[in-house]
Amino acid sequence: MQVHVPGPWSPLFGRLTLDQIPYNIPILQYTFAGAMLAAIVVVGAVLYFKKVGYFWREWLTTVDHKKIGVMYIVIGLVMLFRGFADGLLIRTQQVLANGPNAPGYMGAQHGFLPPFHFDQVYSAHGTIMILFAATPILTGFQNIVVPLQLGARDMAFPYMNALSLWLTAGAAGLVMLSLFVGDFSAAGWVGLIPLTELPYSPSTGVDYWMWAIQISSVGTTLNAINMIVTIVEMRAPGMTWFRMPIFSWTTLSTNIIGLTAFPVLGVALALLGADRYLGTHFFTAGMGGNLMLYTNLFWLWGHPEVYFLILPVFGILSEVVPTFCEKPLFGYVTMVAASFAIAGVSWVVWLHHFFTMGAGPDINGFFSVATMLVGIPTGVKVFNWAFTMYRARITYTVPMLWAMFGLFLLLAGGLTGMMLAIPAVNYTVHDSVFVIAHFHCMVLLVVAAAFAGVSYWFPKVFGFRLDESWGKAFFWTFSIATLIVFTAMFALGFEGETRRLDWTFNTAWKPMLVVEEIGMILYVISLACFALMLVFSIVNRKKNAAGPDAWGTSRTLEWLTPSPVPFYNFAVTPQVNTRDELAWRRKHGLDKAQPEHFEAIHMPSNTGMPFVIGMLAAVWGFAMIWRIWWLAAISLTALIVCVIIRSFYKNEGYHLQPEEIAAMERDLALGSVVSEQPDRSHHHYSHVEAH
Amino acid sequence: MAHQAAPDANTRLFAPGFAGHSQISARTLGFWLYMLSDALLFTALFAAYAVLDTPMNAAGGPIASQIVNPVEGFWQTIAILGSVTAYSLATVALKTGNRAGVMLGIVAAMVLAVVFLGFGFNDLATLTAQGNGMDRSGYLSAYFVLILTHAIHMLFGLIWMLVMLVQIPRDGFNEMVVARLLNLRMFWQFQATVWVCVYIYVYMIGA
Amino acid sequence: MAGSHSDPLAHPEVRMGGAMRYIAGFISTVALMGAALIVTLRHDMGYETYVEVVGGLAALALLSQAVLFYGLDISRAQIWKSVSLILTVPLFIITVGLTVWMFQSLDQRTMVMPNSAAAATQPTLLQ
Ligand code: HEM
Ligand SMILES: [Cu+2]
Repeated sequence: MQVHVPGPWSPLFGRLTLDQIPYNIPILQYTFAGAMLAAIVVVGAVLYFKKVGYFWREWLTTVDHKKIGVMYIVIGLVMLFRGFADGLLIRTQQVLANGPNAPGYMGAQHGFLPPFHFDQVYSAHGTIMILFAATPILTGFQNIVVPLQLGARDMAFPYMNALSLWLTAGAAGLVMLSLFVGDFSAAGWVGLIPLTELPYSPSTGVDYWMWAIQISSVGTTLNAINMIVTIVEMRAPGMTWFRMPIFSWTTLSTNIIGLTAFPVLGVALALLGADRYLGTHFFTAGMGGNLMLYTNLFWLWGHPEVYFLILPVFGILSEVVPTFCEKPLFGYVTMVAASFAIAGVSWVVWLHHFFTMGAGPDINGFFSVATMLVGIPTGVKVFNWAFTMYRARITYTVPMLWAMFGLFLLLAGGLTGMMLAIPAVNYTVHDSVFVIAHFHCMVLLVVAAAFAGVSYWFPKVFGFRLDESWGKAFFWTFSIATLIVFTAMFALGFEGETRRLDWTFNTAWKPMLVVEEIGMILYVISLACFALMLVFSIVNRKKNAAGPDAWGTSRTLEWLTPSPVPFYNFAVTPQVNTRDELAWRRKHGLDKAQPEHFEAIHMPSNTGMPFVIGMLAAVWGFAMIWRIWWLAAISLTALIVCVIIRSFYKNEGYHLQPEEIAAMERDLALGSVVSEQPDRSHHHYSHVEAH
Repeated sequence: MAHQAAPDANTRLFAPGFAGHSQISARTLGFWLYMLSDALLFTALFAAYAVLDTPMNAAGGPIASQIVNPVEGFWQTIAILGSVTAYSLATVALKTGNRAGVMLGIVAAMVLAVVFLGFGFNDLATLTAQGNGMDRSGYLSAYFVLILTHAIHMLFGLIWMLVMLVQIPRDGFNEMVVARLLNLRMFWQFQATVWVCVYIYVYMIGA
Repeated sequence: MAGSHSDPLAHPEVRMGGAMRYIAGFISTVALMGAALIVTLRHDMGYETYVEVVGGLAALALLSQAVLFYGLDISRAQIWKSVSLILTVPLFIITVGLTVWMFQSLDQRTMVMPNSAAAATQPTLLQ
């Protein structure tokens, strides 16, 4: 039943041949050289400083939620950089390739990217930004912060947590690999149908896109389960539902979306995969397929997905704003209710992405009204933050600046979203760059909140604050660049520029395209500021060292732990007495109180299995992409066998003894770092066998 | 937040000896959530089936009424429900720690599941042999993939049961084994739930 | 971690359910499916009524499974399962219901259905 694929195929290498390596494309040569250089530096440094064991013990095999969170964020930031590079290429191509007389370079008729290459760039840009940058960064924050906010020792399933991470990492690796082996999808991040079908996209590009998303969504779904169970089962005593910090609440609501929406994406892509691999006719143009069925399934996931991204962002804003306003959040209960209202409504609006399908006035009307309803809870949130800031003593720290800029973007994105929700308007601007500008306000709000979160929680994780002045330089350059690029883009939308143009044929667009490019240059400068911020922060880390409560005005439990947080989180589980527990303790002079005696803590052991499984999944994806059936069979079998072997493990962790905790807490009080687990081969740690 | 109580002599800031959560509760809840997620996967497949279940999408090939047999489906229904009941009864034996009882129930569940799957694979093989395979039309694609997805779930359940047949005598009813047995019960019952939907929607309404 | 040292067999999740419940679950589901089968084979109802009747029988079967097999209730041990299920059921209905509605309308507006005999005698949910 194997479908016929164009081009050569051999049993040993599948579709893989030497000329799939695009060694003759200049941009990729530079990229490859750069990537190799970076890899050599990193690997060389690890080898030179003899840190291989350290990496294996402390990172690759860790089940500590904080380290897993850090790795998620690092992956996300790397992918954000990659996605930004794609964005830069898109913008530069469009400004160079303007009008019929635009010159062409490097084999392109206009600009420097031939259409097929340009199409891959924007497809990769969207896919990467949404699924491999924004999602991992936000998941990372949830991993680091939520267990601490709840007063828990770890996530409910530490092993599965590591597994989710390594699946995401493996999938991100596949996306990167597509740069150098084969190509990437050229059919948009949404997978425009029937372009993604085998006859129209015969290369492996669509397969890369499809399998990478599939593998990472399994990770996301597992993570959603983990988060929900952690929140339901692992709250410290006294942490009743309505004492839970808003970030934990939004994590709960967002993961309800994650849990329920991702399987639908899985189905959409699996059916497309069946078309491409088994010759079925789900979405083909003939033989009884239905193109719009794909679009429907994709957006059934796609719209909940955008709220999956935005809800944790609302959570971050709700932590940052009160901290720097030194006031409790205005309207806590309405904030919780609004989060769940948004999550609920996000399930009944998906058709607004294809109003132009023409399902009829009743249906467009229904989905239009449903879409606009989202504005109500979103508006409630905006007012809550505004009232929190109203007559507050605001400290304009870097996280607070990002949060305030985020509010502005939310307004701009939300109001243009309302415009798009009107079918009559939508018919004229659908598929124009007006839509791009709308959702970039929203996704840049995600980025703004991500940087708010990075600067806010950085001291918690690493024990020192980020450099304030370079942080501000980064903030101002980045936010002004955002305003320049996307204001111009709204204008271009009204001037009728459509999406995904490799050649911007209308010369009247030139001025705004140039403005956009100026904004891009500012973005590049902001990137340099970001790098300098990191450098100076590390240089000045002694000066910026942070105590448990790094900002002095924080309100939630994570700030009760030492910075950086010891691997066991809380030496003794805190008893929660009120909402904003830390603010309350500080007010009554109890924030420095220490427990009197310690009891043994049960800790999970590290394990390399999640890493192995994640890598096997990536190998399996690679084998499926290139149709190397023997490798696919072996890697899948190995993966299943690994899961089964793991279920036979008997080592269920170890106990930290009270004396050890007391000793580590003494060290912490003296200012040393206890974020590394003790070497478990030392016999004084009592291993517990399964009971 | 105006009425926050001030701390007093009874205020506790730490909870030493806090027991934490139970592994079995966390695992069964986590698995239940996974199943809800899986239920949405089937929901999406049902939505796809509903869209593709028209004469247009049959593209000249057979339509539902020409390929489904509700009477045969009824035997399948009895087989799968019997299997689920056998497994569920195994977990009744678990209450008293009766290893032989649990293992017997699992073996019975496996036998009945194989009967169920035999019917299903036979159907699909016959159709394919007649030239009405999954690549014949949009409708048949939806039909095959729906049935196969359910069957693959059942196959994973069978592998899981085999693993349990090894772990029960090896480890006894420790916390992990018990949690797995309970999750497998949910998983297995869920297959019957999905089948009820398939049977009604595909085999009856389609007939 | 609590529970670790207590007897796993004493956990409420193990204690729930019982032979009678499971057998009742088996009998009720098989009986309801049998009833649906009879209705189907007799072919003597209008299409709409027929769909309503078998749909109702299916709903009853699912309900009996929820109670008799999964043992859902509002006890402390089961409450989160019940709540999460109740929150998810609307999504099942929305996903299939709105999709069917959307494509039904779309097909009417954009497709000419073949006027074959099969099409006339084979109403489906989309028509
Ligand atoms: C007030 C809330 C919102 C409303 C009313 C709204 C409305 C819309 C509408 C009607 C469209 C379809 C435009 C078209 O293609 O013709 C759209 C597209 C989009 N929106 Fe929003 N939206 C809102 C919030 C968000 C949020 C919070 C995000 C992301 C975090 C977001 C991300 C997107 C994306 C990614 C697209 C386009 C996807 C694509 O076609 O590639 N939106 N929005
Ligand atoms: Cu949307």
